[in-house]
Amino acid sequence: MSTTPGADLLTRTVRFCRFLRARGLLVTAAESRDALRALEAVDLGDRAEVHLALRTVLASRPEEFPTFDAAFELFWGRPGRPGGPADGVAQEDGAPAGPLEAHFPRAKDAALDFAQWAERGDGEGEPVGLPGVSDLDALMEKDFSAFEAAELAEVERLAAQIARRLATRRSRRLRPSRRRGRVDLRRTVRLSLTRGEPVELARRERKIQKTKLVVLCDVSGSMDLYSRLLIQFLFALQNQLGRMETFVFSTRLQRITEELRGASYRSVLGRLGHVHEWSGGTKIGESLGAFALEWRHLLDRDTVVIVLSDGWDTGEPAVLSAALLAIRRRAGKVIWLNPLLGSPDYQPLTQGMVAALPHIDAFLPAHNLDSLRALVRHLKP
Amino acid sequence: MREEIRKIQALMEGAHYVTDPAISTAVHLATTLQKPLLVEGHAGVGKTEIAKVLARVLGTNLIRLQCYEGLDTATALYEWNYPKQILRIRLEEREERSVAAKEADIFSEPFLLKRPLLQAITQDGQAPVLLVDEIDRADLEFESFLLEVLSDFQVTIPEIGTIAATHRPSVVLTSNRSRDLSDALRRRCLYLWIDYPSFEKEVRILRTKVPGVNERLANQIARVMQSLRRRQLLKVPGVAETLDWAAALAALHADHLDAELVRETLGCVLKEVDDVKRVEADLGAGRLSELLES
Repeated sequence: MSTTPGADLLTRTVRFCRFLRARGLLVTAAESRDALRALEAVDLGDRAEVHLALRTVLASRPEEFPTFDAAFELFWGRPGRPGGPADGVAQEDGAPAGPLEAHFPRAKDAALDFAQWAERGDGEGEPVGLPGVSDLDALMEKDFSAFEAAELAEVERLAAQIARRLATRRSRRLRPSRRRGRVDLRRTVRLSLTRGEPVELARRERKIQKTKLVVLCDVSGSMDLYSRLLIQFLFALQNQLGRMETFVFSTRLQRITEELRGASYRSVLGRLGHVHEWSGGTKIGESLGAFALEWRHLLDRDTVVIVLSDGWDTGEPAVLSAALLAIRRRAGKVIWLNPLLGSPDYQPLTQGMVAALPHIDAFLPAHNLDSLRALVRHLKP
Repeated sequence: MREEIRKIQALMEGAHYVTDPAISTAVHLATTLQKPLLVEGHAGVGKTEIAKVLARVLGTNLIRLQCYEGLDTATALYEWNYPKQILRIRLEEREERSVAAKEADIFSEPFLLKRPLLQAITQDGQAPVLLVDEIDRADLEFESFLLEVLSDFQVTIPEIGTIAATHRPSVVLTSNRSRDLSDALRRRCLYLWIDYPSFEKEVRILRTKVPGVNERLANQIARVMQSLRRRQLLKVPGVAETLDWAAALAALHADHLDAELVRETLGCVLKEVDDVKRVEADLGAGRLSELLES
């Protein structure tokens, strides 16, 4: 049932690429070309092989695999159904067959979106958001972007200040160096022993330590008052630092590092609209536990972990303390920023905070820009 | 399945690398499309091994660039051999040649120390496999520099000029994800994610790599590893740990697992004292059978 890679397969592949792009995958014209070349290099009658080949070319993170797999199934038909890659998508507009909608609630929207794509031609402009999501976008903007321009600039200055501090901190330890720094006489003499002449001046300089930052921000309902300021701050910081990872959580954890990268705060807010569970309940322990389990590879001794939360946890305190312990074991430092700490009569008596306190290195307020400025002092692993 | 992929699979298995369709398809595409292959996965799942096996399969040599923080072009690309240059200057002190001629002399290829990247694109004969190991450890600046080399396959040295690649090496990059790589680099590469092996694959790995292990023991080891990885351990054991453990059990002439044996050899698998304690407590409570359930 396999067809030769003709015009039909070509258009379908290009459409599939757009389909993926609308779902947030990083697929451009170059990837579409590679996808076509890849299809020429595999057995088109072997559905699993086509699936693997396209995923190798079009996905670039394991986190994208579920999206890719679902999109593949939706677009090229399900295994066992007659068809497969050669004629998986029956309709001309690329809409999946009826019964599939039950398995994939957004199927209709996607098809709509898809039609728009077809009209716009190849490789042009930004991907259009799914219609169902744009309402949410509007909500998000209303919530966050009422920020005054002056305030915005202030946050950016602060982020730049922190970034500079993280980038240029030199340790007292010296390391061998090729060009800069003081001449290391001892090594120079040692070297000249083997070479007969002191032809090479050995040098050493102070080692630059680079701090990595991991931020875990609570965006549950109880944090609503502060979320706007904090997201703004994280956006500014993310765009200053190459080595920063950002996550948000309410009842579950979600990575937003990619969403935060971007030239304008407005476009970033648009992307953040896709993040689920803003203002939901709070499961700090479980969310941090999920981080300690799935993202532990981000942690090492040069990493400072910042938890931004008011400590109102609806989960088991033991889960929270175990998660923090696991994080602290691997990270250089764990800082907890609590907006409530700014109020003079606040005492950290919530169950969550009590469980957390023994496992953190610094407990600091985060209710306004001044308190964030004070954070700079603590950013050493 | 495409014949070429089947062939790559056979060649890799022949080189004692236990593979699966995802791996062989990715390797096939990397060689066919001539694109770099970015391999990510947990520690000890055999990422680096792919490059080594690929070199063996292609019948060529492997050039390895190990990345670390602060890695610079002098270590990765080229460096002038300064001592040799100075010695040459001394030897020629009395010669009546112009300074320009002398300079052209000491800034020529014999005085160039080729580092891995330059070696890989200028090697005579067959194109080598270039392994850029643990790219996540290198700085962001190095990543963009590497991107440049990987897209143009040419290098400009001010004193000599542009050196173009004699051929395109097969490039394999590995990452432990300690830092997220840039989208630009990801886009340039084909992507392969190697997860912890499935039960069946782990048994095959054991049977291939540790000959002293019989089928029953291999099954049991793989089962225990699978259930250990499902637990929330501080340090999840990889395939390297599986193989260490199997080798230890083989040295003890074990032909099946019992609670006592597992306790004695647990140090091969678990590397955090809290993990060891938890599993030991389970073993003490007679729950080895739970670990052996798949």
